[in-house]
Amino acid sequence: MRLTVNGIERELSTRPLDTLLNALREELGITSPKAGCQQGGCGACTVLIDGEPRRSCLTPLVAVDGATVTTVEALGEPGNLSPVQAAFYEQYGLQCGFCTPGFVLATTAMLERNANPSREQILEELVGHVCRCTGYVKIVAAVEAAARGDVSEAALEAGATGPSRREPEVLVPGSPA
Amino acid sequence: MKAVGARLPRYDGVGHVTGRTRFVDDVRIPGTLWAKALRSPHPHAGIKRLDTSKAEKHPGVHAVITHKDVPRNVYGHLEALGVPADEPLLADDDVRYKGQPIAVVAAEDEATALEAVELIEVEFEEREPVFDIRKAYDADAKPFHQWGPAFPHFGPYASRRIRKGDVDDAFERADVIVQGVYRPQAIEQLPIEPQVGLSVPEPDGRLTIYSCTQAMYFSMGVVAAHLEWPLNKLKFVGGTVGGGFGGKVDTATETITALLALKANRPVKWRWTREEEFLCSSTRAPWHMELADAVTSDGWLLGRKMITLHDAGAYTRFSSYGVTKHSFHHTGAYTIPNLRFDGYVIYTNRSPTSAMRGFGVTSVSYAVEIHMNRIAETLGIDPLELRLKNANRIGDLTANRVRLSDPSTVPVVLAAADRIGYELGAEFKQMTSEPRSGDLLPDHLLTSVARDGGAETDGRGA
Ligand code: FES
Ligand code: FES
Repeated sequence: MRLTVNGIERELSTRPLDTLLNALREELGITSPKAGCQQGGCGACTVLIDGEPRRSCLTPLVAVDGATVTTVEALGEPGNLSPVQAAFYEQYGLQCGFCTPGFVLATTAMLERNANPSREQILEELVGHVCRCTGYVKIVAAVEAAARGDVSEAALEAGATGPSRREPEVLVPGSPA
Repeated sequence: MKAVGARLPRYDGVGHVTGRTRFVDDVRIPGTLWAKALRSPHPHAGIKRLDTSKAEKHPGVHAVITHKDVPRNVYGHLEALGVPADEPLLADDDVRYKGQPIAVVAAEDEATALEAVELIEVEFEEREPVFDIRKAYDADAKPFHQWGPAFPHFGPYASRRIRKGDVDDAFERADVIVQGVYRPQAIEQLPIEPQVGLSVPEPDGRLTIYSCTQAMYFSMGVVAAHLEWPLNKLKFVGGTVGGGFGGKVDTATETITALLALKANRPVKWRWTREEEFLCSSTRAPWHMELADAVTSDGWLLGRKMITLHDAGAYTRFSSYGVTKHSFHHTGAYTIPNLRFDGYVIYTNRSPTSAMRGFGVTSVSYAVEIHMNRIAETLGIDPLELRLKNANRIGDLTANRVRLSDPSTVPVVLAAADRIGYELGAEFKQMTSEPRSGDLLPDHLLTSVARDGGAETDGRGA
């Protein structure tokens, strides 16, 4: 089985009928998709397959041979969050965080398709994702903020350790490359 | 007080949105084995024979444990507080709830562990189960614990008791007696992260245990007790909980992975399936509450008698703690001078119940508030005004004789009425929590107001 996972082409040895969730977590060590129910009921295992949110716990590896898979690890990293990640962070669209990767990916895919979703469309799109902590109010607020582009610079850079990755430090402005 | 009212960034938020937060299931230790349990298919049965030899020989299996492998099999969650233990870590000669673990296998992967579980031979002798607390409390019910149908450990008493004032006199003086029975059912806490634990034997002889528990040091004590180990040989790594809501207060996976890890000398992970979460994990308890209130026709609560049956399920775990909290709250947010309360911890053949948000209190609040409406209906008076009239006030004594210094019933009821546009009588609109006097201090409440120099607490203790 071959997959492009977060931009890197991979040859996998996980059995073809095993799940994509197990291949990602156990073989590749990509642990953001969570085994919440392994029955298709919670959305915690969501990944993007060729850009579309899919439940990796219900996806046999053989069914996605040759596909492109994206997890939240590829959206952004501490210090350089994607706007959707930053909005969830800033609007408190998370508590324990176990459902968060699934929500972030589903939101990212939705905004790709529809940059300006109505509240009803947001609820419709996220209906398959269960969160037991937040009560959803803050999650919907985060999605709306992301859609509006209402994300602060500080949130986009949250978690930075060294100098900001967005604006590299310049000692002599205009110095030749 | 910099945090109150401020928008502070979540310290763990960046980890959550980038997938970098490391939950127990995300910890990667090379050579980790997977555990699977043989669980009881019956709610109540004797175990006639248990043979794990075929499972042990199955290729890929590294260890199988039963009750014989547990240095101290029976240990209670509250044993350190002097509450006797009643629950075996692994079933011994009987099973008392469906899903009770009997034997656990550690193998190279989950599929192999499941195959091995299938190879364990066990012979049951089915017994009559009891599922209803009220029936279990009947005189002719067949108990299955040494103590009978109820766990009798409340100091010298078999129930959590509250006695205050003269309740018989109150019932004699009452104009009306209002009765009600309330039976909220079990609820699964249902965190999205299932129960999961990972125990790693270290070369120095210690164990590192990755745990999703809500109660780290407590769980550490439980593991040490079962293993008969000193605490300093255990290292617990926790604090990252994928939701708990009380369901991760019990020590569910840590001890068993520890025993398997020691036997196999390999790291062992045990992750429950969603099905196991629903069928075998602890839930919020079902309760059976009987209330009888002595009331006057103008709406004073003179006295309350209450019997509570708490469904412990097959083993008590934290039940007596939950019932104690329940008892303190059995007058709700109201002051009732004469009380007789008895709370029993009752055994049934359901999965053991445990904490869930507001342990012991949500059940009694539900019963009390519905009962208040019932009283208002019976008397034909306004339900909010009934609440305001009997509301806790500064200086009142609670059921367990705590002197209230800052009760919030009056402002909460007034605010709720305001928000829903509810019209209250003029005298009620003006109400405050100030100490009782005049019309609000009728004779029957004289004994429920703290006197100067009284030996009552300041409201902090219980
Ligand atoms: S783990 Fe896939 S939907 Fe729950
Ligand atoms: S944040 Fe805990 S389940 Fe959603």
